[in-house]
Amino acid sequence: MAQALATTLVVASLYALLGAGYVLVYRASRVLNLAQGDLLTLGGYFLFATAATFPGAPVLALPLAAALSALTGVLVYVALMRPMAGHPVFAAVLVTVTLGILLRAAIVLVFTDRTRHPLQNLGLSNPPRPLAGGAVVSTFDLVMVGAAVAFFAALFVFLKVSPLGIRMRAAGERALLASQRGINFHGVFALSWALSAFAGGLAGMIYSSNVRLEPSLGILGLRAFAVALVGGLDSLGGVVPAALLVAAVEVASVRWGNPLLSDVSPFLCLLVMLLVRPWGLFGTKEELERV
Amino acid sequence: MRGRILSAAVGVLTLVAAHPAAAQAPEPYRVGMTAAITGPFSAGYAPTYEAYRTYFKRVNEAGGINGHPVVITYEDDRGEPQRAAAAAKKLTDGALLLINASISPTYKPVMTEAEASKTPLLFGGGVCPREAFPPAAPLIFCTTSFGSKWDSRMALGFIKEQSGTKKVRVGFAAQDIPLSRIELEFAEQHARELGMDTIPVVVVPGAASDFTPFAQNLKDAGADWVFSWAPWGVEIGVFEALHRIGWKGNYILYGHQPAQDELTRLRAPNLHALTGNAMFIESLPIHAEITKLVQGQTNHPAHYMAEGWTSAMVLEAGLRKCGWPCTREKLAQALSSVSVDTRGLRGGPIEMTADNHYRRATYYKVYRWDAGKNAIVSVGGWSKLDIK
Amino acid sequence: MAALGGGYFKTSYEADLALVDTRLRRVALGALVVALLVLPRFASGFVLDLVSQAAFAAIGALALNVLTGLAGQISLGHAGFLAAGAFTTAALVERGLVSPLVTLPATALVGGVLGLVVGMPSLRLKGLYLALGTLAMHHVVLYAAGEMQARAGGNTGFTIPPPRLGGLVFRGTVAWYYALVVLAALVLLLVVNLQRSRAGRAWMAIRDRDVAAASVGIDVARYKLSAFVWSSVVTALAGALFAYHRGFVSVEAFGFFVAVEYIAMIIIGGLGSALGAVLGAAFVTLLPYVIDALVAGVSPDAAQYYVFPAKFGAFGLLMALFLLFEPLGLVGIWRRVRNWFALWPFRHRPLRASS
Repeated sequence: MAQALATTLVVASLYALLGAGYVLVYRASRVLNLAQGDLLTLGGYFLFATAATFPGAPVLALPLAAALSALTGVLVYVALMRPMAGHPVFAAVLVTVTLGILLRAAIVLVFTDRTRHPLQNLGLSNPPRPLAGGAVVSTFDLVMVGAAVAFFAALFVFLKVSPLGIRMRAAGERALLASQRGINFHGVFALSWALSAFAGGLAGMIYSSNVRLEPSLGILGLRAFAVALVGGLDSLGGVVPAALLVAAVEVASVRWGNPLLSDVSPFLCLLVMLLVRPWGLFGTKEELERV
Repeated sequence: MRGRILSAAVGVLTLVAAHPAAAQAPEPYRVGMTAAITGPFSAGYAPTYEAYRTYFKRVNEAGGINGHPVVITYEDDRGEPQRAAAAAKKLTDGALLLINASISPTYKPVMTEAEASKTPLLFGGGVCPREAFPPAAPLIFCTTSFGSKWDSRMALGFIKEQSGTKKVRVGFAAQDIPLSRIELEFAEQHARELGMDTIPVVVVPGAASDFTPFAQNLKDAGADWVFSWAPWGVEIGVFEALHRIGWKGNYILYGHQPAQDELTRLRAPNLHALTGNAMFIESLPIHAEITKLVQGQTNHPAHYMAEGWTSAMVLEAGLRKCGWPCTREKLAQALSSVSVDTRGLRGGPIEMTADNHYRRATYYKVYRWDAGKNAIVSVGGWSKLDIK
Repeated sequence: MAALGGGYFKTSYEADLALVDTRLRRVALGALVVALLVLPRFASGFVLDLVSQAAFAAIGALALNVLTGLAGQISLGHAGFLAAGAFTTAALVERGLVSPLVTLPATALVGGVLGLVVGMPSLRLKGLYLALGTLAMHHVVLYAAGEMQARAGGNTGFTIPPPRLGGLVFRGTVAWYYALVVLAALVLLLVVNLQRSRAGRAWMAIRDRDVAAASVGIDVARYKLSAFVWSSVVTALAGALFAYHRGFVSVEAFGFFVAVEYIAMIIIGGLGSALGAVLGAAFVTLLPYVIDALVAGVSPDAAQYYVFPAKFGAFGLLMALFLLFEPLGLVGIWRRVRNWFALWPFRHRPLRASS
């Protein structure tokens, strides 16, 4: 039981970081970013590259990889998403699909398709950590939980307190009104994409340190869709409870239900939510009419 | 009338264009390969294509086979059945033989094309299809080191041998693809026939976000041994999770290409890799030769080449035997009686017969990490399994 | 000829109803039909297979276009419908019911029921929310299909024998080429006519504004569901066609990327246009092979490792550029070119409803 709880928390942290990525982008561009999973992979490869450049210096490699991830987000917004403003939503979603193809191709071109382990270059190890109640998690499992907590805490403070964060919330609610009040919404949206790519990249850096790194990791991103919708596509606050819920259902289905269902359990959560409360746990109901 | 003039003109042009080329170089043996060079499954198959390319580059530089170069056309099917079908259609046009180095869903469409054009089809790198085992289909051949049913028999035999008279409880970790599940369900049944306690197969999604709950299931069920026969990510992922939660049993998996690096990385004495290819840590002359040849030529480490290299050896032997001019029927005939010395890459020669297009005997070795020696060691030598 | 330039009026109801309304178009269409008829005499099996693939994709794309382009209901579950059709066929063939006279109606039935189920959420949901619902259904269908395949012991998939009607066995590249091209043409004809029917107009009204559609007396729920059912029946039949054409069914052939490819076809072709769906299907299916041919023509050693991921990347890049610079799709380009010729020497059409 303790182990199941610990695992749930770890999986939920991964899903929360990915889910935050979906919601941030959705609030900025009203688009579902189907390349979010590939941004996760890219983060892992950034870490692999920086770790190879500065072997044994995680203080240098980790922030640099995180910064590269965030920068990718800005580039994606400027090059791909900004020109798609005003086009049909699904054309824009399709652009994110092509982004995923480009990222995967670029990764294979630069790094080949071999399975990698960034930790080997970072000079860090990943020993198991026993917890209370007999549960054991790996060190980077704990890092994942810590990263998710820190990310959401920082995001919460940023959005509640800083002027830029308040502008971001305003632009996320109604871009047109916000721009009429003089908010530079292109800047705000670029920042949203940066944060989204940062969250995905961070998850990728930790996951690839913990498990493995390969070009097809992006498939994890598909599972986190469910988290974004269960919490409410436009609700950042909903991501955390939704991630916990989806992760709990998944872990429980492996442990006490039918393990075969674990692969589809996030999608079953999604279906149930669509039937019961389609706007999600904390989403706004009006959003249903807007898309 | 106009049509006839036109076609005559085209004919003359073709002759003119083709003539100088024909005078310069002898006509080649044409072979086609459809492989998952990119796409989500490429890591297991791109090395095969690279091995073939390097291997036949050397063959051609040394004057080819029977005085004729070997020209291989490579198509990337990305592991998609539709693309594989189109690639096979394109390649069968003029090729003596087709090679498939891709995931199993591409097998049926490629086989259909090969059958329609009576082209021999060689599987190298992907799991061997049923049609290569006795009684073999006339045109289907397979050189891949792993084969369903045989691997499970061998792995369970190894477990039995290691545990002596002690009654062991065996668990099975499959990936949620039909191939892996069916194999391990067979293994579960076979283990019971061998008098072992079994735990129902644990099926793990390839994209599992965390392997721990699956590992916990195996641990709670009291597995002394766990056997995994799946793509590498699941095989090793379940082991790492078991290891982390403090499971003390023994784990045996099929040693795909990354096994050598991963045994070294994990340094776990209870992790056993069953494989048909000699690991490059044995440093045989052939290993040094391959390492030297592929230097700067490939994007994968030398030891990833073993699977494709053996396959290329078999093809070379087949083409040699076929002579010149070689036809599809003659090549199929030649391959059906081929006997190839693998020079230590495998535990013994690859011998095919009219009715057995896999090999008369297949050989396995088990490797694990030895903490005392701080190196990978093999547990015993080669074990032979007769294929009947 | 100058249908857009003014001065050309339809003078009879027959002319208004005709699908091919000018002589130039009749000639062009005739030429296309002749070209497709005689192609097997000149083209290699590979080229025929590519055209067959494009025709097959066109059937699926046309079906999706009815749902998404006409009725405005976005579906990411298209690969799931295909899988449902293919696996229904496989299940029946496994049980010895190999005749297409049994499998095709059964497949249509399964497709219809599935369409009804998947369409239910559309009564409450729109846009991305609906898309996510269909995505979830896709995963559920594929899960069921995977279970079925694993239980049946088909580790490389189910083998489907060539379809047989009486003593007639249907097989071979050329036969399938004709079959798929003719079927695609029939579906195209059906869709074009459907667009002009009561249902087609109702669907378009719902797409443009469901509230307004309801207020003019359109039964929104019924038409939304009928769009789903229509589309999924045709798609499931296409799945059965896949099974017979390729001779096998395996769950890996219907991944999420297949669903995305179909979306790409109708958007790149031009959303809502039947011609666009066909053009988009051809474009998305053939683009990788065109890239192959171009690279083979340019590169001295096309077998180098880096060439393969580069080709895949080029596919993504071309799609992205296309979406960025030609959001109206291939049909948009086609219309612009046509108008340019039709209106020359003028640049703009006179004020008149567009065609």
